[in-house]
Amino acid sequence: MRSAECGVNEANAECGMRSAECQGERRVAARPPTAIPHSAFRTPHWLLGVTLLALLTGCGGDRRTPLVIYSPHGRDLLTLLERRFEQLHPDVDVRWLDMGSQEVYERLRSERANPQADLWFGGPATIFARGARDSLLEPFRPDWAGAIDPHGRAPGDVYFAAYETPVVLVYAEQAVKPEEAPQDWDDLLAPRWKGKLLVRDPLASGTMRAVWGMIIERGLKATGDTGAGFRWLRRLDAQTKEYVLNGPLLDQKIVRQEGLVTIWDLPDILLSRRDGLRLGYVFPKSGTPVIEDAIGIVRGARHRAAAQAFEEYVGSVEAQLLAAREAYRLPGRLDLPLDSLPAWAREVRRVMRVADVDWDALAERGPGWMRYWDESVRGRGVGEGGESGS
Amino acid sequence: MSSRFGPAARAALTLLLAWLVLYPILIAVGEAAHGDAIRAFASRPGEWRALWASVWISFASVALAGALGVPLAFLFEWLDLPGRKALGALIALPAVLPPFVGVIAFLFLYGESGFVARAVQALFGLRSAPWRLQGAGAILLVHAYSMYVYFYLFTRAGLARLDASLVEAAQALGAGRWGTLRRVTLPLLRQSLAGAALLVFLTALGSFSAPYVFGGGFRVMTTQIVATKLNGELRLAMVETATLALVALAGLAVLRRTEGEDLVTALGKGTGPRRRPIHRASLRALATAAGWLFAALLLLPHLTLLLVSLVPYGSWTTETLPPILSVVNYGRLFAEPERLRPLVNSLWMAAASTCAAVGLALAAGELAGRRRAGRWRGPIAALVALPWAVPGTVFAVALATTFSVHQPLALRWVLVGSVVLLPFAYLVRSLPVTGRAVLAGYWQLDPALEEAAASLGAGLWATFRRVTLPLLKPALAAGGSLAFVASLGDFVTSIVLYTYDNRPISIEIMSSLRVSEMGVAAAFGVVLMVVSAIVLGLGARR
Repeated sequence: MRSAECGVNEANAECGMRSAECQGERRVAARPPTAIPHSAFRTPHWLLGVTLLALLTGCGGDRRTPLVIYSPHGRDLLTLLERRFEQLHPDVDVRWLDMGSQEVYERLRSERANPQADLWFGGPATIFARGARDSLLEPFRPDWAGAIDPHGRAPGDVYFAAYETPVVLVYAEQAVKPEEAPQDWDDLLAPRWKGKLLVRDPLASGTMRAVWGMIIERGLKATGDTGAGFRWLRRLDAQTKEYVLNGPLLDQKIVRQEGLVTIWDLPDILLSRRDGLRLGYVFPKSGTPVIEDAIGIVRGARHRAAAQAFEEYVGSVEAQLLAAREAYRLPGRLDLPLDSLPAWAREVRRVMRVADVDWDALAERGPGWMRYWDESVRGRGVGEGGESGS
Repeated sequence: MSSRFGPAARAALTLLLAWLVLYPILIAVGEAAHGDAIRAFASRPGEWRALWASVWISFASVALAGALGVPLAFLFEWLDLPGRKALGALIALPAVLPPFVGVIAFLFLYGESGFVARAVQALFGLRSAPWRLQGAGAILLVHAYSMYVYFYLFTRAGLARLDASLVEAAQALGAGRWGTLRRVTLPLLRQSLAGAALLVFLTALGSFSAPYVFGGGFRVMTTQIVATKLNGELRLAMVETATLALVALAGLAVLRRTEGEDLVTALGKGTGPRRRPIHRASLRALATAAGWLFAALLLLPHLTLLLVSLVPYGSWTTETLPPILSVVNYGRLFAEPERLRPLVNSLWMAAASTCAAVGLALAAGELAGRRRAGRWRGPIAALVALPWAVPGTVFAVALATTFSVHQPLALRWVLVGSVVLLPFAYLVRSLPVTGRAVLAGYWQLDPALEEAAASLGAGLWATFRRVTLPLLKPALAAGGSLAFVASLGDFVTSIVLYTYDNRPISIEIMSSLRVSEMGVAAAFGVVLMVVSAIVLGLGARR
């Protein structure tokens, strides 16, 4: 009796020291060696539970008409419009998927046989033009079509420009004084910004494609050749420290002063400033590209009526002002009284000079230019003195 | 069982597997076969540069991951350190770092303004950051970190199976330590090492997140495909896709050849070598400290992710460390139904695809896994392993192409845009993992046990349920848990095939990052990590 107790105690003491191994051995020893377990699996219940839950939530119903929107506009604007639109149309359930503008186009192309989206909301009109060429869009003319710039109306009424997105020069407010910040495109080539310039990877960004296009078209107009533009971009490449993956990372890197200046679109910068990031911006003196941010109905949309109602709503005076006040979108409508716009938008209308960009030529020749830039300019920049860049 | 169903069932299974695995790829390659696109590919130096970069990065990843993983496996299998078990498990943790957001954690940690760089900068009073995390070096760092686990696990498994009597025999015959290692141990490990090398090579070839985040102008094939697609040259993108698949297949073929026969390990019936304790106290303390330090280093990305997940939106800008920490991001994750939905989606899709993949693997094992299965074994095993060789992006594109046409006679239906296509892709991508585990399990089955059950009067079903399945349980659990975790965290396939109704976690992470909600993205990453660790832990239990 005593010895048995002792043995147990000893075993426990050892278990205390190496509990994991000891338990393992005990479990093995406890099972009679000849027993065949009755079932191979004893605990898939949680798995069953999860599957059931998933099925239940999947089928759990809502009688409203779902309206599926593919959009690069981001959570701020989309949630805002979703809430207000659902108040106005209680029978519609707005569902949006947020993705890059190029991705929307890709996705619509690959889903052409079985379209899932009803509405394509946001992205440069140049990409919409490609979508129209691939017949991904369906004609619909909203009532507000007459109130926007004529160039914002697509041939065949397949898309319309709902907002205008200007490009600005951006700097880190904590490190650069406003009077020292670059004031125009050519200032970016100044020696003091060498290695201090960050650029959003232009291949994946409609905004940057517009800037590159403007630079090349500027050279084309002056010399009749694309060479001048590419020479400028090569010098810019020599100044560039890094091509950054996406907009948010770019903002972060500027704020953390990995670089001091960059080029980006105004709404994003204003939103980041609202959220406390110390970013300053300048409208380039010689003029800046203003991207037409479009909206259009997907061909073969399943919920056409709801999609049309949403497109009508986006261009309504109420929604245009809402987007301007809450999400820093510059209205595409030109008939809004200036005093109803928020202060920043009035300032933009006063200060900004719009660069003359031939958007149709850009849509046509842009991809070729970008391919050339990617292969022959990126990372091969040459500065003023002819030395090789980063 | 197999004799009664005979060749008809085996042929049916082979055809089903071919339709699942091979057919979409053939269709995609057919689409790519356009003369001008192929000429464009051949004439552009950028394409060849990207192809070469893919190949050498993959070989370098194999070398680095092997250099890290193999010694560690020897260390933990042969030496008896204090806390060996806990450490040995911790060291496998890079496997659960979720793909996309894990790379972002690297950026926060080792990036130019990350913690480590800032610390080094402060320590030495440098005026600028000591390094930049960019280009091939950064990609290799991430690859070595996340892929050495394959070498580590495969080598440990191989060492555990090693027959100590062979090693002892070599020593008795006068071989030194080095000679034994070189002439006995390593040759016995050849299959494990070749398996790990193959897996690392193929994973590195298909790797997307690291080159995407760190590559910049340095292109590999996966990022080149994306760039080409962004530029609207879809035909060319198809050619690039097909080329990448061919390189992967070539790699598979070459490495398969070196794998060799497993005769010696199969014959070995002895016990594994005993662990050697370290006797000198100082050496022991040193080894222990080094072990824990290394484990801590490996855990840094996980901890960074956890830290970032505790930072409320917009509260952390220029400070070295975040000023406020709170669980608000987790609150949003579980309180907002539209954010909870991706979690539920990922769970059900991973569960469904894993069940189906395990079922298919069992069918393959039952029909062609046993030692007497004959000539069907080869094609079935090859088809099951094939998705390994096909990078995720390639397979997703192939599926989307194949199932966007309604041609029932050609076995093509419109599945694009429907909820089922993504779990379907997960299923195929899971096949090699479950298939390899289950086929190996069947190969090791002792036929005497099933014969005994049959002679005791058990029917086919009873034998299967009460003898075969319990014997296969470890293989099923290991294969199933790996497949589940891979599907749960998948990014490259999902980005091509998701829809609103089945958007998975990785896509939600991406769109949170797009709108600078790093905290929410990291919180999703942490949840993914915890679920993966639990499932892998369950799968590894014997």
